[in-house]
Amino acid sequence: MTMCGEILDVVARSLLISSSATLLAAAWSIPASVKLASSRSRWRDPVVGVFNALVGFPAVLVGLLVYLAFSRSGPLGWLNLLYTPQAIIIGQAALITPLFISLSYELFARAIDNYWELAVSLGASKLQAYGLVVKEVLGEVLVVVLVAFARAIGELGVALLVGGNIKGTTRVLTTAIALEVEKGEFDKALTLGLLLLLAIVVVAMSSRLIKRRLS
Amino acid sequence: MIELRKIWFSYSGDRHVLRDVDAQFDRGLTVVMGPNGSGKTTLLKVSSLLYKATKGKVMVDGVDYWSLKDPDKLRVRREVIYVHESPRVIRGSVLDNLAYGFKLRGLREGEALREVLRLVELLNMKHLAEERAVGGLSIGEKQLIALVRALALKPRYLFLDEPLAHVHLSKRRSVVRVLEDLKDSSAIVVSTHDPLPLLSVADEALLIDEGRVVFRGRAEEALRLVL
Ligand SMILES: Nc1ncnc2c1ncn2[C@@H]1O[C@H](COP(=O)(O)OP(=O)(O)OP(=O)(O)O)[C@@H](O)[C@H]1O
Ligand SMILES: [Mg+2]
Repeated sequence: MTMCGEILDVVARSLLISSSATLLAAAWSIPASVKLASSRSRWRDPVVGVFNALVGFPAVLVGLLVYLAFSRSGPLGWLNLLYTPQAIIIGQAALITPLFISLSYELFARAIDNYWELAVSLGASKLQAYGLVVKEVLGEVLVVVLVAFARAIGELGVALLVGGNIKGTTRVLTTAIALEVEKGEFDKALTLGLLLLLAIVVVAMSSRLIKRRLS
Repeated sequence: MIELRKIWFSYSGDRHVLRDVDAQFDRGLTVVMGPNGSGKTTLLKVSSLLYKATKGKVMVDGVDYWSLKDPDKLRVRREVIYVHESPRVIRGSVLDNLAYGFKLRGLREGEALREVLRLVELLNMKHLAEERAVGGLSIGEKQLIALVRALALKPRYLFLDEPLAHVHLSKRRSVVRVLEDLKDSSAIVVSTHDPLPLLSVADEALLIDEGRVVFRGRAEEALRLVL
């Protein structure tokens, strides 16, 4: 494979793995946030506090924990997922979950406070009230999704430990950069770095655009 | 008639914001007065079926509302409108906002708009109604929009939380006149820190303090208390 083809391959894989991880995290984080935001339980604040505290959890530690879970003798070893793209997806999804829940919890708490009650006060059914909440927060949820994606695609610890940086299957932008630096191929490392930056800039610009359209 | 029977309410823990409150709202205008934090907003939200009381019953036409099934709840709720103290708007144009209540009821825009436009005319808000986005409006403008949005539905029960707080004096009189018109066919309950302009047209008055009803009676009597 040419160098250019190789780079494109890594870029495509990075995008695919991290967007899958983001979707996976969204699949549990969004319902969980809605549930939390509409709960009146006294456990709500402590639970939210735990997620807030976990936002800064180091990627390499998540990587280590997922590695231990998926390693041959680990509790999930029988799944045979170590060193596969799926393992990175699960690891990255776990990594961004606290961020996802913290950000979208705030969003939904505010929206439910505001729009749920407004809809109901004007005679909406439960479904109609949900409809209004979703309509009002949709744009902001998209922004949260993009932020989470940026965190996923930029992390190294999980991809390296549970992916193993295997050429053609689990090599992503961050692990490729690490490898090229180790090999002394700084030009290639920089090219990859710029592509990673580009991906993140595109994401940031899209969220700005969404935010602008909202206001 | 909406009737509160021995209502207790607390937001969290055991601090009661409403204590053993009895009240009845039937056709006519009721003014709710009381110091900051006395529980006016909470009382209005419990009465308008937004909040469930911690203890006690809310009866609507003799039926215990919170014991109803969802579809019946909705049917009852459709006749009860609450307008928030700090105005709330949805994204979109002013007309989107004014028509929202009608949309929820599946009514035709045409019919809906006629009543909206009548009120817009009456309250001299034409320039506002043409505004495309509500986002940039002032708080008083939003309050007027929230008010028209509710009034246009001609609900049987209308709860207004400080509806005049941000409204200029010159417009207050028009709003009071609209309420006066509606009160013959609906129950209107208004909380306010400035009862004078309302008490002169009101029927009943309620004074609460620290969550307890300390006065309940004719508006004229209340007027004497206030003056
Ligand atoms: N969401 C809430 N959570 C916890 N406590 C609340 C909440 N809303 C109100 N309270 C408390 O309940 C009490 C009554 O509040 P409420 O808003 O009903 O008063 P109010 O008479 O409407 O006051 P104001 O004249 O300032 O609008 C206050 O002591 C307030 O601190
Ligand atoms: Mg209040």
